[in-house]
Amino acid sequence: MTTYVLRRLMLMLPVAFLVTVGVFMLIRLTPGDPALILLGEDRSPQAIADIHKQLGLDKPIYVQYGIWLGRMAHGDFGRSITTHQPVSTAITERLPATLELGIVALLWSLIVAIPLGTIAAVRRGSALDYLASGITVAGVSVPNFFIGVVLIFVLSVSLRLFPFGGYIPFAQDPIESLRHVVLPAIALGTAGAAINMRFTRSSMIEVLNNDYVRTAWAKGASWRRVVFIHALKNALIPVVTVVGLQIGGIIEGAVVTETVFTWPGVGRLAVESIGDRDYTIVQGIVLLAAFSYMFANLLVDLVYGWLDPRISYA
Amino acid sequence: MRRASLGVACLFLIAACGSGGGGGTQSATPKHGGTATIALESELRTLDPLDSSLLVEREVFYNMYDSLFTIDPSLTIKAGLVKSWDVTDPTSYKFTLRSGVKYHDGTSFNAQSVKDNITRYKTSAGSRRKSDLKSVTSVEVVDDTHVTFHLTKPDATLLATLVDRAGMMLSMDAVQKGGQNFSLAPTGAGSGPFEFVEWKRNDHLTLKRNAGYWRSGLPYLDGVTYKAIPDVNAIVAALKTGDIDIARTIAAKDVAGIKADSGFIYRDTPALGFNGFELNAGAAPFNDPAKRKAVATAIDRYAILKNINFNIGVVGYGPIPPSSWAFDPSEKVYDHADAAAAKSAATGFTFTYKTTSDPVNQQLAQLIQSELAAAGITMKIQTEEFATYQQECQSHHFEACGVSWSGRIDPDGNTYAWWHTGGDFNDSLYSNSQVDGWLDDARTNTNQAQRKQDYANAQKQIVSDAPYVFTVFGVSAQISSNKVQGFTLYPDLMIRMAEVWKS
Repeated sequence: MTTYVLRRLMLMLPVAFLVTVGVFMLIRLTPGDPALILLGEDRSPQAIADIHKQLGLDKPIYVQYGIWLGRMAHGDFGRSITTHQPVSTAITERLPATLELGIVALLWSLIVAIPLGTIAAVRRGSALDYLASGITVAGVSVPNFFIGVVLIFVLSVSLRLFPFGGYIPFAQDPIESLRHVVLPAIALGTAGAAINMRFTRSSMIEVLNNDYVRTAWAKGASWRRVVFIHALKNALIPVVTVVGLQIGGIIEGAVVTETVFTWPGVGRLAVESIGDRDYTIVQGIVLLAAFSYMFANLLVDLVYGWLDPRISYA
Repeated sequence: MRRASLGVACLFLIAACGSGGGGGTQSATPKHGGTATIALESELRTLDPLDSSLLVEREVFYNMYDSLFTIDPSLTIKAGLVKSWDVTDPTSYKFTLRSGVKYHDGTSFNAQSVKDNITRYKTSAGSRRKSDLKSVTSVEVVDDTHVTFHLTKPDATLLATLVDRAGMMLSMDAVQKGGQNFSLAPTGAGSGPFEFVEWKRNDHLTLKRNAGYWRSGLPYLDGVTYKAIPDVNAIVAALKTGDIDIARTIAAKDVAGIKADSGFIYRDTPALGFNGFELNAGAAPFNDPAKRKAVATAIDRYAILKNINFNIGVVGYGPIPPSSWAFDPSEKVYDHADAAAAKSAATGFTFTYKTTSDPVNQQLAQLIQSELAAAGITMKIQTEEFATYQQECQSHHFEACGVSWSGRIDPDGNTYAWWHTGGDFNDSLYSNSQVDGWLDDARTNTNQAQRKQDYANAQKQIVSDAPYVFTVFGVSAQISSNKVQGFTLYPDLMIRMAEVWKS
């Protein structure tokens, strides 16, 4: 097991290297000049040249890459081009907001998906199953920004049940924090809920047709025991894979939702930094997103072993 | 502020001239206490005037820092930290400073502080104020309350420049203490009505009342909080839910609804900027002056004002708006659309218009496209992401480019950089030696009547040559809950909070 984890961690290194090259080159190949963005209405040829020199953008691109990589090896991710804030601080300051939103969104998706998916599988072909399928199609088809705008309009502006946007840290005021997170979490988690429900349903149907489930029925076990004890745990393996990817995708998923709900997280920082051509921040966030995908995948593989002891890591 | 977002701010989002009155204040007995939350249309990047380039930053600065000079709503230069001034020698300006002013960190504002601030703006590596202060060679400390600014040549724009960021005075102790993080947390640095408390980027920026403010009895509010809300629809929603008290920009389409709602106050006054689009005189097809004139003649400015701006603002004829002392109401080279006249100048050609994906910019482009089609001119619309569009227009890779200007207090700021040969904003590569002469004279001549004539001459020529097609003059607006009182509107779009109170 330890050997397996170590080997997987080693395999991440070349992937991480490719990610650094990719993100560094792509953002620089994108048209637009951070100096122009920084200067706005104060631009002059001299001021533009000054900023290029100050940021090292006058050096060849491979030299810039080497400097960046060298600094990262010493744990220095650089400073934001636009705000001069250290990149690590800029990201870690906003990470709690993104994690809170991501976790609540994920919980929302699971709370909806697993019971509904299970019921749809058990009562296959019933009206309930069709209803669940309908909800799935809608959940996947409607983009999260649209869900967000509808939620804001109905529940916040018209009915005033929830505050519109903004973030209050959980530690500061748990109840207010949850009130603020509800709408963005529903907007962000609904697509995931629909996908997870679909996976739960199809996987459950497959498992319910297995011999061991039939044996359980034959032994006279109650339906609750058959479904929840015998079938559900095994049916969840594909769901775990998808959920794992969803954990890795919290940051990218939050990009749109955080913008709609003015949520001060990493996603919104990413959007602003791309618009501002804040190279250092964009590089930091893409690396973080890449690493969260890699770690989420590793975690998923480890959870498989717990769910299904037949899988070994020798 | 960025120029395109500015276009959005001035041209499309803000509301109608003449409705709700100009730059007056409300009358009632002010009371102390309470806080106000203000929406900003974008997040700030810095809290240091040294490297600031966004309009939203200036909006915060005016409440935290004091400038050497200030303006009144009619744009007349007024005493700020400079109490009185003597400009009899146009190359050495003598300033008498206000005494007894203290920065928020307790250190004193004095002549040495002025010299240190100007030196910092002129010499620091990351300073964006260098070109603002280009004409200043040195600042001489005469005594504790007197300084002399020595200039390379007469500069009629200097006092107006010192109203803005280049004239904002900071405590050098606070700057040094802040070190590398000063621009993120300028604790104690200002002498303005409100002191910096904390800035949580993408969430809020908090200021508290400066109890020792030199204008006694002010400010009324205990504090001000700023929240960046980049979506104009979200700003209206936040006003309605009470999450914010004051906003500067809302979508033009929402203005009528806000005006009809008794829970809100809406006011506006003519702004400083201009709106329209550049035509590249340095490349085909617009290196042919007849084609530029054809476009300028075929545009229906009244239709743009009505359909895009919901009649908010007024038709724009040139670079100098009605809020300026140099405004020339007789200048109407191109007024109503005239397809026949346009056709007789030039017709049957095609060009590409670059703009951003903002929905209002898109609608504007489509309207211009249809207006030009009536004169037999084919306009293709090319939509770019902001940073790309900005770079292409700046590097002259365009035929036509939708760009607006927030405007400056002195008319020099609305003309020189744009149409003087080699000017920093002369994306159109326009060059006319007569115009250069008028603009040069207006920059160095301290006689306002002669300057006004220079600007009238230059404006007429620029508009006639059409390197830029002017469409609409926007407004500076304020939208707030009806509890917000004591507000004075300024044409420069800045929300000054010292005299504002809540009922």
